[in-house]
Amino acid sequence: MQKSTIQFLLINSFLAIVLASCGSVTKNYTPKKLDKTSYEVPYFSDSKTDYVYKTNITVYGHEMSGIFIAKKINDTTHRVVFTTEFGNKLLDFEISETTFKVNSIVSELDRKILVNTLKEDFRLMLKDKYLIQEQFENEGDNIYKSADGDKDNYLFLSKKNQKLEKLVHASKTKEKITLLFNSENNIFAEKIQIIHQNIKLKIELNYFKSE
Amino acid sequence: MKTKIALLILFISGNLFAQEQKMSDAEIATFKQDVNVVSKKIKTLTTDFVQYKHLDFLAKDIETSGKMIFKEPSLLQWQYKKPYNYSIVFKNGKILINDEGKKSAVDIGNSKIFGRINKLIVGSVSGNMFDDKEFTISYFKLKGQNLAKFIPKDATLKKYIKQIELTFDKEEATVVQVKLLESSDDYTRIVLKNKVINAKIDDSVFTN
Repeated sequence: MQKSTIQFLLINSFLAIVLASCGSVTKNYTPKKLDKTSYEVPYFSDSKTDYVYKTNITVYGHEMSGIFIAKKINDTTHRVVFTTEFGNKLLDFEISETTFKVNSIVSELDRKILVNTLKEDFRLMLKDKYLIQEQFENEGDNIYKSADGDKDNYLFLSKKNQKLEKLVHASKTKEKITLLFNSENNIFAEKIQIIHQNIKLKIELNYFKSE
Repeated sequence: MKTKIALLILFISGNLFAQEQKMSDAEIATFKQDVNVVSKKIKTLTTDFVQYKHLDFLAKDIETSGKMIFKEPSLLQWQYKKPYNYSIVFKNGKILINDEGKKSAVDIGNSKIFGRINKLIVGSVSGNMFDDKEFTISYFKLKGQNLAKFIPKDATLKKYIKQIELTFDKEEATVVQVKLLESSDDYTRIVLKNKVINAKIDDSVFTN
């Protein structure tokens, strides 16, 4: 009896340690009762809007800049084009949650690892519907966990104004990609930053001010 | 009904006016001559520009604008001022970029397309582009304007630029519009205006 109790305690504490280290992504957040089961991100959701951003990409110390253009072309798909300031098209993708098509890409950028990284980044940034399975909170945000294949997305909605300010794409144990959004009107984001934790890649997008 | 017909007639006749007519050999010779005479006089050139990026799936062209400065023989600066500050200088085989204060330099060797576009733009003001062996050139007349179309011969360049169209003011024989057509029929159109020829421009302008 005593033996089994000790065993039970040992297993339990072992489990607790494993779970604690596994749950590092959420360990600083307090679990909370779900207040919604889905969330729609407004920032790229309007099919009538041309979303145009001046964009700077920093990759392993190299700088690259250009114009990022996105448009929702049907219920599931966004067209994404990146050009130089002169207007030369560098890449042209069509992205949905399940499909991906390269319409064109200049040979200098046509590297599988780069295309896959951008595909994942843009897909995260453009995704507009999330199903929520768990909820947490910290001091300033309500945090919603949404499964994404073998990864999870954590949506940080400010308690102050309910806007999506941060999105973290993470495995069970590690944050992989962080997206930061600044939005005044909660219709589009004036500034977006995509930061990678495991590679030295940062993409910063600034909305074109209309004249 | 009457107005519809009137509008239709207006539309058709408007279309006729806008239509391009191929130049005769004699006209081509005169046109080249005119452009050459004017460009030989150009030592410096500054002009405002508005750039329209047309992508077929967008509701509106993307508009950027600024100033272009050229100095003989091949110093060139594009300065975007709206909606952001971005300046690019072509100088001694190098491209110098100033992006909202962030500076960088690229060897044109790495960016053949830039190099060729640069050569073409410089060529169009200095007058020696019609001898460019890299393009098949055709010549057209418009109302008050002349139009030269350049089709790249090189397969690599052709992948990026299907055609370049330079529109000239007939009287002044200088470029008023540059249109770069991409293979997929999307294009960039740059309209030049408020041109100033041979004002004194210091080399230091092209430092970025």
